[in-house]
Amino acid sequence: MIQALPPPPPAVVAPAPERSVATLEQVRVAAALTDARVLVDSSFTGASIVLYGAVFNPTDQPTDVVVVVRGPDGPVRLVKKTRNLGFWLNSRPVLFEGAPGFYMTASTRPLSDIADFGQLRRLGVGVNHLRINAPEESRTVTRYGVRDVVVSRLGEDYLDWRRAVIRLREAAALYNTDPEGVQFVDEGLFRAEVELPAVAPTGQYFAEVWLFQEGEPVSVSNLTLTVEKVGIEREIFEFAHRRPWSYGILVVLLAAFTGWAASRLFRRQ
Amino acid sequence: MNWPLLVLLGAVVGFVSGLFGIGGGFLMAPILIFMGIPPAVAVASQASHVVASSTSGVISYTLQKAVDYRIGGVMAAGGVLGALLGVELFRYLRLLGQADLAVALSYLLFLGAIGTLMLYESLGQIMRRVRGEVLPHRERRRPLWLYGLPLRMRFPRSGLYISAIPPFALGAFAGVLSAIMGVGGGFILVPAMLYVLRMKAGVVVGTSLFQIIIVTAMTTILQAGRNQTVDIVLAMILLLGGVVGAQYGAKLSGRFRPDVLRAFLGLIVLLVGIYMGLEMFVRPSDLFAFAPGVPE
Repeated sequence: MIQALPPPPPAVVAPAPERSVATLEQVRVAAALTDARVLVDSSFTGASIVLYGAVFNPTDQPTDVVVVVRGPDGPVRLVKKTRNLGFWLNSRPVLFEGAPGFYMTASTRPLSDIADFGQLRRLGVGVNHLRINAPEESRTVTRYGVRDVVVSRLGEDYLDWRRAVIRLREAAALYNTDPEGVQFVDEGLFRAEVELPAVAPTGQYFAEVWLFQEGEPVSVSNLTLTVEKVGIEREIFEFAHRRPWSYGILVVLLAAFTGWAASRLFRRQ
Repeated sequence: MNWPLLVLLGAVVGFVSGLFGIGGGFLMAPILIFMGIPPAVAVASQASHVVASSTSGVISYTLQKAVDYRIGGVMAAGGVLGALLGVELFRYLRLLGQADLAVALSYLLFLGAIGTLMLYESLGQIMRRVRGEVLPHRERRRPLWLYGLPLRMRFPRSGLYISAIPPFALGAFAGVLSAIMGVGGGFILVPAMLYVLRMKAGVVVGTSLFQIIIVTAMTTILQAGRNQTVDIVLAMILLLGGVVGAQYGAKLSGRFRPDVLRAFLGLIVLLVGIYMGLEMFVRPSDLFAFAPGVPE
């Protein structure tokens, strides 16, 4: 009934720095994850993974580390309540073509102190700068017989909708900003924790570890990790979505049986 | 999720349903929504709770020969059709982002109206009893249009020889409500069977419960199959408490006068209807919300 999970991908770790002249002179960052495959289990308290890394800094200038973790992109539908004749009614659904299902940043200082607005925007670092796909022109798409309005990034209410996506996702702990999330445990050695809530989407995640010096990105290390869900609740979820009709019949049979059992039990007493 | 609280909730609602002889769906869905469970999931999951409590009800009514399976079958056939239509309608509304509105509006309209009527009728009866007045003679004549329609059938247990169309239509209407509100529809069925169809009072509750089982079972399967909104864990937790609570409620119900019980039930129904409708008039804390049905 439940298909076997695909084999885990090999743990992807940034290549070990070579002992060349460049290593000794360049400012570099290297990082790795404790687990490249994360299993979010059925108790649904989520999962926590640790990212650790090292900064090679032969210069005198201080550096800042920013960790960005992005989950798989997916479309987002939103509605907005508006007041019509005294009633609060939902608007027609509005569609963003793609937004990360998970997004977090952890850094040594607040992002605005590390680099300026333009730099963060260009790199897509920080929830206020993350890329949410929206075409230039507003249009409608029809899915399941319902017409959705696709948000245009030039529309006047684009920012309201964008902020709403971020706010709602932050409330669900899917988007997160931790200005003190990167901690140096020793000279040049740092660690950051990535908290994945139970509702985090499954799939391939990308982690970027940026090294900033004087507001400029000087080095980056890219990592990937895979998030999978396991356990009884996950299996029920899979069952409900793969075999929805059998699932429905099972629920009804269980319910009828419980009712019958209760009436038998209480008549005896 | 806080499952001990859910067991307790199931038990309390079960107790109320046993006490008043109702399915209790109209009470369960609003409480679940209040607890933060999405309305679509609450409505679909607790339909199975209604299946369980109605099953134990029908068993005991069958033993008392108080179920008319013939008229119940006609109503259930209508109910299955109504459930099919209702689930499709609910699916469309959900994708449109209007499921919450449909739920709120139907609770306000139907529960508000039925609650008011029940309260008015039962309070009147209590007042007359207290003053020692003689109860007015009940009109036992059925509306004539019941006889003008084709497809007449005999329903000996209910003491009826009427067209099959009104019970079929009544069942279909309850089926639509069952899909949208997650209720069995007893609060509509019982008064309609008593005052419109004029069935023998003794078989009304048992027969309506039989129809409710068929319709809520159908609704659960359809909601799971089409909308994937049934949460089996939530459903099982609720009905564990529910079936136990219902037995104790049923034991206690004999201690109260029927008109007092009806007045209390009317009050609860009215309050739930107003509470659910209130949502449409209060400014929400966040104007934005995620809409379901994101394409994979």
